[in-house]
Amino acid sequence: MTTAIDIRGVNKRFGPKVAVEALDLTIPTGSLCGFIGPNGAGKTTTIRMVMSIIFPDSGQIRVLGRESALESKDRIGYLPEERGVYKKMRVGEFLTYIARLKGVHASATENLVRGWLEKVGLPEVYRKKCEELSKGMQQKIQFIAAVIHKPDMVILDEPFSGLDPVNRKLLRSLIDEQHREGRTIIFSTHAMFEAESLCDQIFMIHNGRKVLDGSLQQITARYDNRSLLIEPVGDTREAAARLADLGQVQAVAGTGSSRGVLELLLPDGADAQGAMAAALGRVALRRIEIKRVSLEEVFIELVERTSGERLDRSVLAAGGVAADSGAEGGE
Amino acid sequence: MRRTLLVAWREFRSVVFTKGFLIGVLLVPVMIGVAILGGTLAARAKPPAVQGRIAVVDASGTASEAVLKRLSSGNAGEGDVAEQVGKLAADQASRLNLPEAQSKQIAQAVEQQAKQAQASRTSLTPEAFGPDADIEALKKEITVAQIRATGEQQGPTPLLALAVIPAGAVRDPARTPEGRLAYGQFELFVHPQLDFEIQESLRRSIGRGIVDTRLASDSRLRAGGLTADDIRALMDTPSPRPISLSKDGEKTSLGPLQLMIPFAFMILLMMSVMTGGAYLMTAVVEEKGSRVMEVLLSAVSPMQLMVGKIVGQMCVAMLMLGVFGGLGVAGLVAAAAIDLVPLYKLAWLVVYFFLAFFVIASMMAAVGSAVNEMREAQTLQTPVMAIVMLPWLLVMPISRAPNSGLATALSFVPGLSPFVMVIRLGGSDPIPTWQYPATVVLGVATAVFAAWAAAKIFRIGVLMYGKPPDFRTLIRWVRMA
Repeated sequence: MTTAIDIRGVNKRFGPKVAVEALDLTIPTGSLCGFIGPNGAGKTTTIRMVMSIIFPDSGQIRVLGRESALESKDRIGYLPEERGVYKKMRVGEFLTYIARLKGVHASATENLVRGWLEKVGLPEVYRKKCEELSKGMQQKIQFIAAVIHKPDMVILDEPFSGLDPVNRKLLRSLIDEQHREGRTIIFSTHAMFEAESLCDQIFMIHNGRKVLDGSLQQITARYDNRSLLIEPVGDTREAAARLADLGQVQAVAGTGSSRGVLELLLPDGADAQGAMAAALGRVALRRIEIKRVSLEEVFIELVERTSGERLDRSVLAAGGVAADSGAEGGE
Repeated sequence: MRRTLLVAWREFRSVVFTKGFLIGVLLVPVMIGVAILGGTLAARAKPPAVQGRIAVVDASGTASEAVLKRLSSGNAGEGDVAEQVGKLAADQASRLNLPEAQSKQIAQAVEQQAKQAQASRTSLTPEAFGPDADIEALKKEITVAQIRATGEQQGPTPLLALAVIPAGAVRDPARTPEGRLAYGQFELFVHPQLDFEIQESLRRSIGRGIVDTRLASDSRLRAGGLTADDIRALMDTPSPRPISLSKDGEKTSLGPLQLMIPFAFMILLMMSVMTGGAYLMTAVVEEKGSRVMEVLLSAVSPMQLMVGKIVGQMCVAMLMLGVFGGLGVAGLVAAAAIDLVPLYKLAWLVVYFFLAFFVIASMMAAVGSAVNEMREAQTLQTPVMAIVMLPWLLVMPISRAPNSGLATALSFVPGLSPFVMVIRLGGSDPIPTWQYPATVVLGVATAVFAAWAAAKIFRIGVLMYGKPPDFRTLIRWVRMA
């Protein structure tokens, strides 16, 4: 398997602030990769370093087999987070200019531009000024600008922000199409749903450090056996008390819930099947299941674990039975 | 390189192909040209020819003869002038040994032409009145007169002007308290539609006629055998044009025009550099503001982007330099004063333009990249403004003494150097030859340093949003790897 991006030991500081710390990352060619992390985690900084717009203080970044993106800029499509258009320029002119900058031959640009405008449903805007377009239309134009030169790799920084559901769907299909055509796609997002449904690879950074890296299956497998959902027959409080001292169970959440569902939190690497069997032996159950973990839960847990913020859930994770209404967020 | 040129071309187009630029920059010189040309033509144009009479009321009783003579010679209404011209032409023709018939023909043709020319000229026939004339009646006649163009033959010739000469204007002058002689004034009344040039020539002719009378009637002069013309010749103050001497030969000095050349040179340089610089900064701020900057950076490096923008705006500035400089050169050619600006000086002007532009433009690009909107740029622009404003204070001392210690020293101050050199170039005193290459080397070094520092600021600044940096932050950015 070849790698599209290979980051080794990269550090970047802005004055006293550490933006990226000891980052190692490998992105295989042809993958569709989601890059997640909270605000200010260092996503945009990492992407900018990959694009050689800024440079790391130390470490190495290889892009498409070259020493830096500068040598393969024409093979990369980039949609920055801070994106815009020349307000006074006509849409056709703007896209032509960007395409020419990215090495598309002058004779090929017009057909290419018109074809793309057709594809995103805006064939009539070719001669319009960019400032006449709505924000959603401008986003489409910017996406076209990122991919018009048929790059090998596409990096999209927050491509879904500010789009309505219809345009989100269109963008998802466009990204999917780019991927099917064999391109490596990397996009950063806050929307876990988007990442979950599109990506085959996920990596996450928080406070400049990588905290998650792998395929979606690997990640969910690792976090899957972390909790059991139990619906007891009878009083939930009584059941909770009985289950609290069960082997492997770190804490019981959801006792205050009116829906009568308890969540048993298990430690990393716990034997979920064994715990289920043990639970069945303790109390009468209407239902028991291994909770299907969502990327959002993984995200929130990772953020809370690594930052000083203490939310209800982390109190639970630290041990002890607590009344908690937020435990069923994953259902 | 290709990308840099693409950026430059877009930059150039985005400025030049706009209504604002075409009107503001290209139309203005055209309008100035038209205005100058129109003014020249208008100045050459003759006042509309009119026919009429002028009444001269002579209270002195002696002035009217001389005044009428003066007025008549100012008029060319008489046919004998054309006749004389015809005779002159015949004379000349006979000297060329032409057959008599042919020379007669030529003479006739010339006479005809002269007559036509005369017919189209203003003629005011003077009429003398004695001291007892009814001045009020004459004034009234002027108020009701209908002004009439030459050639229109209808009704009586209208009275268009009235001169009243008191006796005191000609003899028995009063004495001022200081003991000087003071003759009286004459009065001149004119029809409101009489052209100002004709009024002027009437005033002059009558005045001269009065002086003629004074001189002719002075017994002391008569006794000494002096005529009016002798007195005039005696009073004529000689004022030759200075001739400048140089190794290249003798040239008529153009005086104050010489002093304007350094100004013109500096204004040209300043205007083109500042316009280009201001456009550049606006463009950078706009690109940052509209968030298009990083989209561009996905295709080009910050250095390519900055250099492309500088080159594009440099072409804009060169266009302006060409337009306004060309206008200036055309003006000098028209005024036959092109000697003031030898070609080599224009060539050096262009060289110093490049050096000045790169420094100013780099600074403007850096400032533009660091701020979020134009008004934040004010404080950061201070050093640029200092470089641009200082030469204004220096034009006079430097152009007066282009090779003084001050001028030479300032020529080697980085940033200021091209401006000072251009002012010195405009001066008449040649700059020592070695100073050209020396200042060019300094200029190139300054430009390279400015571009390098600006690129560092640019690279960081274009991606920075929020609080605009201060000078210390900018210097830290330059120092950052």
